[in-house]
Amino acid sequence: MKVEIPEELQEILEEFLVEAEEILENLDQDLVDLESNPEDKELLNKIFRGMHTLKGGAGFLNLTPVVEIAHRIEDIFNKLRNDELKLTPEIMDVILEGIDKLKEALQMLKESQELPDMEEIEGLLSQLDVVLKGESPVSVEGSTENSSTHSPEAQREELEFVDGISDKLKELIKQFPDKDLAGILEEIILMPPDKRPMDVIPEIEKLIEEGKDVKDLIKKKEPSGGEGEKQPPSQKSETPPVAASEITINSAEKTPVSKQKTSKKQEKKSSETIRVDVERVENLMNLVGEIVLDRNRILRVTQDVEKECRGEAVEKLVEAVTSLDRTVSDLQVAVMKLRMQPIKKIFSKFPRLVRDLARKLNKKVQLIIEGEDTELDRSILDKLEDPLIHLVRNALDHGIEPPEERVAKGKPEVGTIRLFAYHEGDHIVVGIQDDGRGIDPEKVKKKAIEKGLITPEQAAQMSDKEAYELIFLPGFSTADKVSDVSGRGVGMDVVASTIHSLRGSIEIDSEPGKGTTILLKLPLTVAIIRTLMLGCNGQVYAVPLHSVVEIVRYQEEQVKEVGSFKSFMLRDEVLPLFSLNELLEVPDNNHKAFVVIVKVGEKLIAVSIERLFGEEEIVIKSLGELLSDIPGIAGATIAGDGRVVLILDLNSLLADYKTKLIGVKR
Amino acid sequence: MSEAKGKELSVLGVEELIGEVHEKEVQVIAFRLNDELVGVPIEQVIEITNNRDLTPVPKAPSFVIGVMNLRGKIVPVINLKEHLRIPSEIPEDIYQRNKIVILETPKGEVGVIVDEIVGSVKFPESDVLPEPIGTIGIDVKFISGVVQLDRELLILLNVESIFNQEE
Repeated sequence: MKVEIPEELQEILEEFLVEAEEILENLDQDLVDLESNPEDKELLNKIFRGMHTLKGGAGFLNLTPVVEIAHRIEDIFNKLRNDELKLTPEIMDVILEGIDKLKEALQMLKESQELPDMEEIEGLLSQLDVVLKGESPVSVEGSTENSSTHSPEAQREELEFVDGISDKLKELIKQFPDKDLAGILEEIILMPPDKRPMDVIPEIEKLIEEGKDVKDLIKKKEPSGGEGEKQPPSQKSETPPVAASEITINSAEKTPVSKQKTSKKQEKKSSETIRVDVERVENLMNLVGEIVLDRNRILRVTQDVEKECRGEAVEKLVEAVTSLDRTVSDLQVAVMKLRMQPIKKIFSKFPRLVRDLARKLNKKVQLIIEGEDTELDRSILDKLEDPLIHLVRNALDHGIEPPEERVAKGKPEVGTIRLFAYHEGDHIVVGIQDDGRGIDPEKVKKKAIEKGLITPEQAAQMSDKEAYELIFLPGFSTADKVSDVSGRGVGMDVVASTIHSLRGSIEIDSEPGKGTTILLKLPLTVAIIRTLMLGCNGQVYAVPLHSVVEIVRYQEEQVKEVGSFKSFMLRDEVLPLFSLNELLEVPDNNHKAFVVIVKVGEKLIAVSIERLFGEEEIVIKSLGELLSDIPGIAGATIAGDGRVVLILDLNSLLADYKTKLIGVKR
Repeated sequence: MSEAKGKELSVLGVEELIGEVHEKEVQVIAFRLNDELVGVPIEQVIEITNNRDLTPVPKAPSFVIGVMNLRGKIVPVINLKEHLRIPSEIPEDIYQRNKIVILETPKGEVGVIVDEIVGSVKFPESDVLPEPIGTIGIDVKFISGVVQLDRELLILLNVESIFNQEE
């Protein structure tokens, strides 16, 4: 079904899509939470409001299929929150199906301006209807008497409807009987200023924000009131949740209470946010980058001025420049923070993913999420999602054993996957830990030999850590059979290359029988990095500091010729040695001053250089499309003197040599 | 950026050569590559600069001379002659003598080194002729036409096809 959106509504559509996406994203987490805590009123209300908003927006844009689905789900949640319906895993499955359909529809809308045809969703709609009708025990009379036996929380909520309303608002509702709250608000604004009841406005706004409307308010006051709909809350049962599901989700062992607190806080926050196009932020970021570079230049010039002349004016200049320096640094941090988003944005997808996967694989798994408020650069965040999904899938599929096997091994029946994130210096660490089988290094080596990725001799020399690295090679899969769960397109090699492209690193730690931990170390931001400035063949190059392990002076006696390669003796270690000139294929005068030790994978490699200029923080710029795929050049930056300095990617510069070094085809 | 163009031109001492206004006009920036007079539509010229700070890029294709800083943007500078496969020798003093024309191309902004800037040339669109095959040293696919000026032939370059080719 093609959807025609008039030009003037296009902007509204885009806004709707963003909002809808956000709602649905949060919904996944909320629904899984709900399954373990089906009586959480706050959660039910939140989901209800979300659906309501979605329905409203879709209705305005005439997106009938979306409205139909959202409307029914909204009704179901209305019944759920009024205790007219009890949440069962079956109902949850139908709801989740509905949510999936909504997501699918919105994706279609976004990509091709199309929506599923009504016939396509008919089955789903009738299923939702069955849930709505079949399981709704309505007790009309009971409601009034029972109201005193409501749970305190629910009762407070009811009373708020009635008592919380000021007399002025009641008057207004009577005055404009056929208006909703938004309508009344409009009427107030149209009144002459002296008659305008200013104090009612915030009250109405609050009510609207809570998703309430006039009918919710009148009903309790005048139970016989015209509206057909009523919300009789039946007695709240004390019986614990259905809990038939195998999955428990606890967010870092927080009780639901604390979770509610955070969600409240977030709601308050979200009302104070504005949406800004990423492009604008990017632009701002670029401009700040320019200012940073200009500042560096001014600082340098000021130092020179200070050396050459003295006087009051110079002192004042230095003072001003110092202050500018500080402000620019703050500005840089502030703008960088604009692009930071909590990792929650992707973590929130995992409860659902794990739930579905566990069901499919007949495994029992609990997912623990920690540090979801850890923030990192949006562009990293966006690229991190697929690798993480892949790693979690792997953990579930290959790591966690089936329940029987776990019991037989004396492990708890329910496996645990821990997804966590935390800051470590100027890095962020994202990790996945499972308590499953672990990786058997010998099995990995055997597989790699079978696939012809390494030779048996190489395997014999490999440490366990190096063996784990093998799973990141293209064409490697340790699962005895490839299931449709982990064997989907992206392999571990894609995970590794994505993380490396973000200038991050991967660490695997595993203990057979105990489980596996995979740590992804990522930079906080992609835009600004710390580099080491070094010189070769009269040019200055920048090398990202994160790949540099150590710098030592070049000493002839430490260099040994081994076959066609040179090696460098660092204390008691022998490291392969290359000159930067040979890596860059530029003339070499064999006049070396320093050796930079870099880490490539698990290996240390020595690179000799001619000059060393020290550390500098730089803004990364792209070399443009024409030069985008030059091996070994990660980008460029503009130095204090205005010249372009290239940023080297030693990892890929050494890639050609890597084959010979670890005997592995890349 | 386009407002700055006029200013930039006069700063660099470039003058308009021909100025009669007829029907639909084409305006090009004309420059020399070896002895050939070639032109690029002015809409595709971002600026002309004599910035000499080029940073060579190791491992880049040989026609890439280096990258330069164009108001905070990194712009590659190429040897157009080599790219067009016409004979070229990069003179020792390439960074001092030659001018760089920054073009808007399908691959982003790219600087090309030229031997000499001739100036801005205007002519009616109808004056553009198809290229007589084999008379010029430049591959026909890089040319969108030629124009007979008073004294010589102006070759119009097709920027799109030059920068869309597979390297």
